Amino acid sequence: MGNGLVAIGIGLVMLAALGAGIGLANAVSKTAESVSRNPEASGKILSTTLIFATMSEVTAIFAFVIAVMLVSKV
Amino acid sequence: MDAGNVMKPNDLFSINIFGLSIPVSDSIVMMWIVMAVLIILSLIFVRNLKTIPVGKQNAVELVVDTINNIIKGSIGHHWKSFAPYFGTILLFLVFANISGLFSLLPTAEELYKLTGNEFFENLPQFAIAAPTKDLNITLGMALMSVVLVLFAGIRFKGVKGWLHGFLEPSPVMVPFHILDYGTRTLSLSLRLFGNMLAGYIIVEMLYEATIFIKPILPLASFFFDVFDAILQAYIFVFLSTIYIKEAIE
Repeated sequence: MGNGLVAIGIGLVMLAALGAGIGLANAVSKTAESVSRNPEASGKILSTTLIFATMSEVTAIFAFVIAVMLVSKV
Repeated sequence: MDAGNVMKPNDLFSINIFGLSIPVSDSIVMMWIVMAVLIILSLIFVRNLKTIPVGKQNAVELVVDTINNIIKGSIGHHWKSFAPYFGTILLFLVFANISGLFSLLPTAEELYKLTGNEFFENLPQFAIAAPTKDLNITLGMALMSVVLVLFAGIRFKGVKGWLHGFLEPSPVMVPFHILDYGTRTLSLSLRLFGNMLAGYIIVEMLYEATIFIKPILPLASFFFDVFDAILQAYIFVFLSTIYIKEAIE
């Protein structure tokens, strides 16, 4: 019983990846838009997007680390 | 692969100094290997430098110039004091993360199971993997960066200016400025560690997968151990330099 609940908890923790995915999709769609509007600045836009994409990715990473910690409890 | 124990360090031996016993895990040995490779490479490439570069010196100057430009772009005026430190950190992280490419080499235990040779049974259980997939090492790197931010702030603004920085927009922000040092350490270390651990787990899982999904293994290995590795090393250095810039201006 307890182990099963922990396993369900691991699944619920990874729901945080949903938010990170939505955030990344927003960032990438805006990047594509701004590159097509201003193709000369594509290098700068790409590097800025990479930085902020990694920063929004970190929520999913935190969730993943917690999930890995919980796996040892199952 | 045991997913539950993947975060626990695997202690190989311990060093005794002044009655203290310091355990040495395999990620630390892996870190020593990366450090040795870097030291040997630097000894090879730095020998007889000339004013007009020839041959291999061109490549080294390109690398140093790229690093200098990255640091100059994000720190600005005082970049010269920080470029050597961040260049070292960037090179170390890139080499350490890329060393995860060798994580699919068989360990002594697997070689023993495969060949049945007695020789492999008594070897220490040394698993080759990226040293940055151990939280202790990334936490050490992040602590170094945050302590550097602290001392750079005091050095460039003076104790008075540094203390005044805590009150910057308004005195309400004081607890958040203090909290910043903790959250920065946490996010810097966990970002690098989480990415490398995720890559390691996915590559190991694909290695044990059935024959039908195995062909994407080299693709995943390349993505996590080369592309993501270099990107994460760059992000680590970039965020540290952003913090430094915020502290000294």
